[in-house]
Amino acid sequence: MKELNIADHNTLFKREEYQTSRQKKKAFENCASAEEVQKTAEYTRSAEYKEKNMKREALTINPSKACQPLGAILAAVGFDGCLPYVHGSQGCTAYFRSHFNRHFKEPFAAVSDSMTEDSAVFGGQKNMIAGLKNAHDIYKPKMIAVSTTCMAEVIGDDLNAFIKNSRKEGSVPERFPIPFAHTPSFVGSHVTGYDNMMRGMLFHLTHGTFKVAETEKINIIPGFDGYTVGNIAEIKRILDLMDVKYIVLGDNSDILNTPMDGEFRLYSGGTTIEQTKEAMSSKATFSLLGDSTYKATAELLKNDWMQTYVGDVVPLGVSGTDKFLMKVSEITGKPIPKELEKERGQALDAIADSNYYLHGKKFAIYGDPSYVEAITDFLMECGAEPKHVVSTNGTKRWGKELTKKLAGLEFGKKATVHHGADLWQLRSLMATEPVDFLIGNTHGKIMAKELNVPLVRIGFPIFDRHHLHRYPVFGYKGVVNLLQWTVNTLLEDLDRNAGEHNFDYVR
Amino acid sequence: MRQCAIYGKGGIGKSTTTQNLVAAMAEAKQRVMIVGCDPKADSTRLILHAKSQNTVMELAAKHGSVEDLELEDVMQTGFGDVKCVEAGGPEPGVGCAGRGVITAINFLEEEGAYTPDLDFVFYDVLGDVVCGGFAMPIRENKAEEIYIVVSGEMMAMYAANNICKGIMKYAATGKVRLGGLICNSRNTDREIDLIEALARKLGTQMIHFVPRDNTVQRAELRRMTVVEYDPKAKQADEYRALAKKITENKNLVIPTPITMDELEELLMEFGIMEEENTAIVGKTAAEESGLGQAASA
Amino acid sequence: MSTRMTKEAAETAIKEVLSVYPAVSREDREKHLYVNDSSVESVGSCLSANRKSLPGVMTIRGCAYAGSKGVVWGPVKDMVHISHGPVGCGQYSWGTRRNYATGQTGVDNFIVMQITSDFSEKDIVFGGDKKLEGLLREIKEMFPLAKGISIQSECPVGLIGDDIEAVAKRMTAELGLPIVPVRCEGFRGVSQSLGHHIANDTVRDHVLGKTEPDTTTPYDVAILGDYNIGGDAWASRIILEEMGLRVVAQWSGDATIKEMQSSHKAKLNLLHCYRSMNYIARHMEEKFGIPWMEYNFFGPSKIEDSVRAVAAKFDKKIQDNAEKVIAKHKERMAEVVAAFKPRLEGKKVMLYVGGLRPRHVIGAFEDLGMEVVGLGYEFGHNDDYDRTIKEAGDATLIYDDVTAYELEEFTKRIKPDLVGSGVKEKYVLQKMGFPFRQMHSWDYSGPYHGYDGFEVFARDMDMAVNAPVFKTTTPPWKTA
Repeated sequence: MKELNIADHNTLFKREEYQTSRQKKKAFENCASAEEVQKTAEYTRSAEYKEKNMKREALTINPSKACQPLGAILAAVGFDGCLPYVHGSQGCTAYFRSHFNRHFKEPFAAVSDSMTEDSAVFGGQKNMIAGLKNAHDIYKPKMIAVSTTCMAEVIGDDLNAFIKNSRKEGSVPERFPIPFAHTPSFVGSHVTGYDNMMRGMLFHLTHGTFKVAETEKINIIPGFDGYTVGNIAEIKRILDLMDVKYIVLGDNSDILNTPMDGEFRLYSGGTTIEQTKEAMSSKATFSLLGDSTYKATAELLKNDWMQTYVGDVVPLGVSGTDKFLMKVSEITGKPIPKELEKERGQALDAIADSNYYLHGKKFAIYGDPSYVEAITDFLMECGAEPKHVVSTNGTKRWGKELTKKLAGLEFGKKATVHHGADLWQLRSLMATEPVDFLIGNTHGKIMAKELNVPLVRIGFPIFDRHHLHRYPVFGYKGVVNLLQWTVNTLLEDLDRNAGEHNFDYVR
Repeated sequence: MRQCAIYGKGGIGKSTTTQNLVAAMAEAKQRVMIVGCDPKADSTRLILHAKSQNTVMELAAKHGSVEDLELEDVMQTGFGDVKCVEAGGPEPGVGCAGRGVITAINFLEEEGAYTPDLDFVFYDVLGDVVCGGFAMPIRENKAEEIYIVVSGEMMAMYAANNICKGIMKYAATGKVRLGGLICNSRNTDREIDLIEALARKLGTQMIHFVPRDNTVQRAELRRMTVVEYDPKAKQADEYRALAKKITENKNLVIPTPITMDELEELLMEFGIMEEENTAIVGKTAAEESGLGQAASA
Repeated sequence: MSTRMTKEAAETAIKEVLSVYPAVSREDREKHLYVNDSSVESVGSCLSANRKSLPGVMTIRGCAYAGSKGVVWGPVKDMVHISHGPVGCGQYSWGTRRNYATGQTGVDNFIVMQITSDFSEKDIVFGGDKKLEGLLREIKEMFPLAKGISIQSECPVGLIGDDIEAVAKRMTAELGLPIVPVRCEGFRGVSQSLGHHIANDTVRDHVLGKTEPDTTTPYDVAILGDYNIGGDAWASRIILEEMGLRVVAQWSGDATIKEMQSSHKAKLNLLHCYRSMNYIARHMEEKFGIPWMEYNFFGPSKIEDSVRAVAAKFDKKIQDNAEKVIAKHKERMAEVVAAFKPRLEGKKVMLYVGGLRPRHVIGAFEDLGMEVVGLGYEFGHNDDYDRTIKEAGDATLIYDDVTAYELEEFTKRIKPDLVGSGVKEKYVLQKMGFPFRQMHSWDYSGPYHGYDGFEVFARDMDMAVNAPVFKTTTPPWKTA
């Protein structure tokens, strides 16, 4: 066969004939001149622009947050045989599914009840009655978890009444579990939706059951986590090493990591109803990402389940993992085993090896509040210094508390925390007060390239790299993963920008 | 804690009746909270002696979001230690007032406003149950008793029947029940008989007939309830009687709303509506005066 | 190797698959499933399309916002497109469609940006018009080179009664920028399709004919319905230019507002995606007398036909050029076919895609010796299916607005060698062991249009069909 040398989108348009064609097109475009574009680009990177940019009141540009139902369905798929059902317009569900498809590179099942203009006027009860029946008969779930889009929320649909009426109409068998949560998109963000749905799952699946004598177990809630596949496996491994018995509430690590063996699994793994009921009697619940459970779920666990709730320990970084292990040990009475001490030492050993490439390096970071704080803590353990800390969905309180904490730390005192800020504001911040590297998701890649700052991809969503979500970032093993992503990204950058003399073999 | 929602046609005197009723309850040492669910925010002014209190939505807009509010920002205490909250909402013609009600009630729940020491919570709800938002107070775990303020006027009764239809929807699956009609008299003919007849048809009772009395307006000018302004007035006793009846009310039913035809029949029976003259339907003035023919010829 | 189902087998498959549905839903879905008979002229009432999706069945469809912001308006690069409402819609559609454009992001190109009014509770309760006014001013300040703004309504905007038209009118005057209000709330219509229509109508009302072209020639054509996925429109444009035509506008891949504004002086409109832009084509025909024609730039056979058909609308010079263009690419195309056809010959394909592709790519597959045995449209109308039945072979299974369950079950029965659909279907089918290509985003490849695009298309289909990974789904100890 003749070598064909096929040019695709990566190289094709660099060809001369396409450059010529491009010039022809320009005649019709009425584009700004190259000089004008250059001048404007520089202006958008100026201090003057930054001032205006930071003062914006109505306009949001490139926010780093999504809406509630996205989080709701990620919580829901963590339960055994659970089909997420979103009450409202159908386009939302298509978007949620593709969003997760692109991050996890996995299937993601969820149904919508396709409300249209007439449902907007008459309410969505008819859609609910038909939708639950169809979903139940076609997809044969063990439970259906209902959340809402903003359309249903604006017209004020009442899930409780609608679901009861659907039962009456025979949409599902009498005792078929339908946990639900109202998840308005115009309140909070995807982590709020996770919180509301998790509360809904725990409340409805245990409804009518009571706490019995306390068991030896602890509960783990993963939270809205792009690394759920790697992280849950790692947390289980750690707890097994400690001989601690546990129940993961909302274990979506299986459904988001199914094999390719000729069979598609609509459902796989997940927390069972029995486990959820049993979880009421556990000693304590650890919420690994506190921002995902801070309100509705925390309240249920504290007030109704009357449990110790640990929501402020993210097992990420060395001290984060230390705190987690100590807290688990304190609550369960199980000692921290030698194996984990060894892993800790290995993680520190790795940090020591990479220390000189991170120490004193300034970084900017954005993402969900719990992650941003935990990763900032970890990088400070490596001697790096946070400069711009951004969380679009961070609350005022979060911003205030983190500011206070960082101000009192040797490596943190140069940081400014921007809660509620968006990535266009972060661009201004980085353009006027440069950093050595940027931590965040795929949405940062354009500004990172423009400002020539290496982007270390840690966060959600990551669409443009493969398999990262399979690795844990929790525990001491997670430390090594985070460290190698960070330091190797910086070393790649160093090599790319190296001259002849400093293109070293050994680094 | 009993939670009651007061519905009724706009302008019928819901807010005035609710506040006077609540004042009478407070006087009898009952602990009460009023939640105003009308963007006009006039459900608490007689208790607070204020023009209108800061509403949840107004403050949320000012502070940024509802999450930034604390309970003490939105709750005030007035006459007889009555706790007052106004949901608030947009000017007419913009936004979504129904959503404001949902937001405000969710906020109160989350912030623990429903303390166990309360004997009563009253929701004073705008006009009709026009959309899901205005049904919020009668959803699961909220008001289980509804009282409809009505008078002997046609539109008021029409609205009362419509509200019963709204209650039916929720009564089928939840615990919400109709407690009765409160007749806020407009001095129309045979008003008591008429409202009692309507109540029977709706499967409920006229729980009390509140006569028309100028003391109410005098008190209102002073932004006070009658019970507070002139406790000795005869009208104050009327509200006390209403309060007592509601406190002791056990007659809670799923209403049986009637058809338009049945309602019209009732109104005709009491002479409020005249029998329809089908002969004139679709006739223009010209046709009626007989000139139509000449003109078309 | 799989074989095409017989008509009877296909009909049985439909019955079997639908048997789990509740009776009412089964009755509805039956109307959307059809076994092709290429002897009829029109699907008529045998196939129902562009109807509401059933609640709870896991439709693959999106919404009107997706059709307007995502498809038609989104690619217009020098305008700022506001996702007006809560944050989600804009977030999920941010930079995921691959409608390529030149320019510097945030400076003179605003496509890969998520610009939103990020509604919070107070905006719902008090209405969003004031906020909209403020943010339009802020856009002008932040993006001095933006040439226009479109307001893409999300669901709540239509429910709370905001008057975005009034705001747009007022602010157009204040800012001196065209500001286009688009009522594409997601609950309108039954799919993306109404969003296309609404977007077409707003282009018609606010953009088209608003400026005159600098010059005109008898050879001016506009490309309609090419969104430049992976550079498709560029690979198409170059062919038309080779023919001696002047492409004065691209609707709307890599488009500028000026191109669209002055498009009313074109001599011929070339319509690629009929579904999403037939509305504006018809309007330009009526109002400006511009004829339009559909063409197909997938695969050398269809390209040849289209190049000749387009040339036939012009003079001899263009017709001669057309033959030259065809001749020029002949050898290279033969090489590509020679390279890939032996690896792909006889392979069966199932498709489930959007606007034009289910029928337009059939020819390209046939050039490679492949056969489409099942197809469906996410948001097609009856006129799309009428255009399809002649392209598709007899007994091709046709599924309109297919549900996830149906697609899975049909695939199990047909056992194709390749499935082409979207990202939501990709991982399901791959786990089932089927080679798969995303046919919306070209699976992060492309272009697929034009001669250059066909090379990539052929390579990509081969990469999928003959990927070693799909041949090893059963462990060797189980193959016995």
